[in-house]
Amino acid sequence: MKQVKLFSILAAVSIGFASCKKDEKETNQKLNFHIHSLAGVSEINAIDTFVTSTGIKITFNDLRFYISNIVLIKEDGTEYPISNKVLLAGIEKEEHALGEVPVGRYKGFKFMLGLDSATNHSDPSTYEAGNPLAMQTPTMHWDWNSGYLFLKADGRVDTSSGGNLSPNCDFFYHIGQDVLVRQISFLETSFEVLSDGEKYIHLNFDFFKVLQNVDLRSEIFTHSMGSNMPLAIEMADNYQMAFSVEDH
Amino acid sequence: MRIFFILVLIIVLVPSCKKDPILGDAIIGLSIPKGFPYPEVPEDNLPTQYRIELGKKLFNDPILSRDSSIACASCHFEGLKFADSLAYSRGIDNQFTARNSMSLLNVAYQPSMFWDGGVPTLEQQVLAPISNPLEMDFDVNLVVERLKNHPDYPALFEQAYGKEPSVYTLTRAVANFERTLFTGFSRFDDYLYNKNESALNESEMRGMDIFFKERGECFHCHGGYNFTDYSFQNNGIFDVYVDSGRAMITGKSADIGKFKVPSLRNIAFTGPYMHNGSMKTLEEVVEHYSAGGKNHPNKSGLIKPLNLSAQEKIDLVNFLKALSD
Repeated sequence: MKQVKLFSILAAVSIGFASCKKDEKETNQKLNFHIHSLAGVSEINAIDTFVTSTGIKITFNDLRFYISNIVLIKEDGTEYPISNKVLLAGIEKEEHALGEVPVGRYKGFKFMLGLDSATNHSDPSTYEAGNPLAMQTPTMHWDWNSGYLFLKADGRVDTSSGGNLSPNCDFFYHIGQDVLVRQISFLETSFEVLSDGEKYIHLNFDFFKVLQNVDLRSEIFTHSMGSNMPLAIEMADNYQMAFSVEDH
Repeated sequence: MRIFFILVLIIVLVPSCKKDPILGDAIIGLSIPKGFPYPEVPEDNLPTQYRIELGKKLFNDPILSRDSSIACASCHFEGLKFADSLAYSRGIDNQFTARNSMSLLNVAYQPSMFWDGGVPTLEQQVLAPISNPLEMDFDVNLVVERLKNHPDYPALFEQAYGKEPSVYTLTRAVANFERTLFTGFSRFDDYLYNKNESALNESEMRGMDIFFKERGECFHCHGGYNFTDYSFQNNGIFDVYVDSGRAMITGKSADIGKFKVPSLRNIAFTGPYMHNGSMKTLEEVVEHYSAGGKNHPNKSGLIKPLNLSAQEKIDLVNFLKALSD
């Protein structure tokens, strides 16, 4: 009798202890995008000369683009939007914190390159300095036709037919206006956010793919207006295939 | 003793009965012309004396431009009804602006800014000339740095908005000043709102009839308290428009050659006329409408040859001149 009593007491106590142990697993964890801007396989910078697959030499002064309306897709298909997060990505800034998201398995994600119409027409002077939507230097906003440049690429290109000069001619691709926003989707790119550490998703953006079928010797600028609108549309339609997700 | 006590009370109390002068940070009402509606004013930028004065100082300050040579006032002269006497204005480095500078009088009523309506608010408009390479050719963040390091501006911004110079407070201050610029005290207004029959002479009254009745019907677009309906119209100046106007904003071919209908108030002082300043005199403008303009596909259906007589043309011009104050 005494032994049973002792055993039950011990059992009760050990069960009691087991249920008292705190659950240390977090339910949310930090998620980040690491966005690499590439010219083919090389990371773009403002110093080096890059060569396209057709042998044309270019240099970059600036490459920046807005990413917004990021949505994660859970394993069960439900969507988890990352609210109030607009990123200004580009060759100067690769790491972008998205805040905390639920721990667990996801089967994909999607985002916009560009801004939704309401955000695009918001007053940039109302954003605090440091916010990606505040007035930038150099600017990412059309002040005379209120709206943002969704993608800005400025640099120089060698337009000579022999291709034997240093880049000698300015190019600028300024892509914006409501109709030029593009949804980028990775619906079958599963990933897991674990409780024990920050998660990084590595996105590659190959700008040379955006320039596919663009004749860099003659089609060297667009303001997304009038006669140069078709070029802007063509480039924006190339965004999806320019993005890829790297396994890390 | 009691009398003495009462006297002291009077001496102490009377000065405090005197009305306080308006404090610089008190919200004030805009002094609008008779017969005008009260304009929309954004909640975060209500008028105060401090804000208006700061805005006026900034409006006249070339510190907003790259080389500190161009101010808002460089194209919008107070003495010229906040417009310019040139077809195109002079911007930085002796360049010409792309279009004729519009008068800023009554700009508080504008639902959009510029000849093509590309900007929706006065606050957002401030950004445009600053970054325009033909005008100020600068960067608003660099303007803010200058304002922060200026001996006077930080205190003036603090006084007006309780904040330091920033893109936000800079745009608010200039817009706040611009919202105080009104015109509406012409002899026509005296005739209409004060019922003063002798305010207009006979030629002007005949011109008024041409304007408001079937002979001219100008009022369709140039009607209302501000002599504009703020719409975008093609008035048949050209067969081919180098400057496509509203189409630059909307991208629609149906908008090619459409420009904002400007107010006709003070039109005697704000020539040359049209978006490109191509018409030097009011006589030229009236001649244009009398003949009916070119037949561009987007021309307003309301514009047809009027075939005005010589006297009718004189009368109409005289009426337009009576819109001055």
